[in-house]
Amino acid sequence: MDTIVTAVKLNSNEIFNLLKQFITEVIGEEFIEEMDISMESSFNKDLEMDSIEIVAFSEKIKAHFGERINFTGWLSNMDIDQLIELKLGMIVKFIESCQ
Amino acid sequence: MAKFVFIVPPLTGHINPTLGVGAALLEGGHEVGWISLDSTLESRLPKGGKLFLIRYTENDREEQESGQYLDVITKKIVYGVDSIKFLYEEVLIPLNRHSYKGITRWLEEFRPDLIITDHELFAGAIAALHHDIPYVTAVTAPAAIQIMDELPKVYEWEQNQIIGLQKELGLSLEKSVASSELLNLVFTSKEFFGEMRLPDHYGFVGPVIHKRDEKTAFDWQKLHQAAGGIKILVSIGTTFNHEHKKSFFSKVTEAFGGGPYTVVVVCDPLLFEQWPDNFIVQLNIPQLEVLPYLDAVVCHGGHNTVCESLTNGIPLVVIPIAYDQSHVASRVVKTGAGIRLNFNRFKAEHLREAVQEVLHDPGFKTAAMSLRSSFAVAGGTAAAAELLVNLTQDKSTSSINNYV
Repeated sequence: MDTIVTAVKLNSNEIFNLLKQFITEVIGEEFIEEMDISMESSFNKDLEMDSIEIVAFSEKIKAHFGERINFTGWLSNMDIDQLIELKLGMIVKFIESCQ
Repeated sequence: MAKFVFIVPPLTGHINPTLGVGAALLEGGHEVGWISLDSTLESRLPKGGKLFLIRYTENDREEQESGQYLDVITKKIVYGVDSIKFLYEEVLIPLNRHSYKGITRWLEEFRPDLIITDHELFAGAIAALHHDIPYVTAVTAPAAIQIMDELPKVYEWEQNQIIGLQKELGLSLEKSVASSELLNLVFTSKEFFGEMRLPDHYGFVGPVIHKRDEKTAFDWQKLHQAAGGIKILVSIGTTFNHEHKKSFFSKVTEAFGGGPYTVVVVCDPLLFEQWPDNFIVQLNIPQLEVLPYLDAVVCHGGHNTVCESLTNGIPLVVIPIAYDQSHVASRVVKTGAGIRLNFNRFKAEHLREAVQEVLHDPGFKTAAMSLRSSFAVAGGTAAAAELLVNLTQDKSTSSINNYV
């Protein structure tokens, strides 16, 4: 699943659904049912993902988009406040802007 | 014979390894002191060790007033990346600021040949440079280093907090001195720490486990009555003393209460009015003596509990809460010695299933046993003590504080 590299341009809704799927893979399906995941969801407060889970999530993005999107580079340049405030919508925007 | 001083923060996990190394140095006939804010440390020091207590009089009003942070770490609810910011801003920086003057006074009086200061007590490094005494860094929570690779900007932010304090204390450098250029004693094995490029002056000596002389009371009878049955330990350490505990231990009770296990729980028994019959609940346990009888350990990913479990070849279920625990937990998973659960999300059934899995899949035990060997090979106490003694005998050491 992770290795499919699509050349098709995704719209923000498609990116959102894809990222939601990655989050599901990282934290487990049974927990997702109880969560209301939206563009506004913050990784730290709403999704309660810790740093290692965020790193695992970013590896999935890297595996999916490959060279086209330097997501780990973008993430590793975030300072501590940006990382605490990181929301799903910010990643969707970033991926959209890279396509 | 040489004079050594350990500078330690008031955090059990950071103190314990120094007690083992200090005991070895004392046995070798050296003079050893501990600079600390914690007066209760005296009773835990190895025989012959001296406590240099940081104390401020009324004339030190500023220092007296800055000692408020001590309670904060056990009371505030922190989680995830947020906790790193909290740790530096509300605990480490005030703690180091508060300790600095007391440290310099003791260094003037004791004049050690070598200082061993904790990686989170960088005031010790700043004071060492101020007095021109060589210093070694004790990396008692090694997973904290890994943030360098994984979240470089967060690491940079941490370094900037330290540099800010250095300047405040009169050291005008654009580089953090928290990590010694002489030697960093890393209390784990390379196998457990994982792949990461580090300079040669990082010495992986393995965990140092200090056996305390005094006896802690324990319900041995109840543990031995369960002979043959499955025995597990559940501990989330001594740091988390707030609401976290209640929600956590109610899930533990639900998962294992009445089950075919004997469960040793490190917790204040008064947390709940009633505990299941198959639980042994004590605020303090003789953990090192109890571990050899256990089949699995459930913990928060504190470096010491994880290393003590692996030293006994016991597989783990790790449920990290904050600070570097997420990294420790990920090492447990990557080395195959255990399973990780998310502290906020896990339910009783997940905990029960995870414990079943580490007990029944022999791969976890095998991985734990292999880490046990890696710790033994790393050398532990003797290796650490030897590195320190060698430094005091090397004539070039005294001029090796390269920072200034």
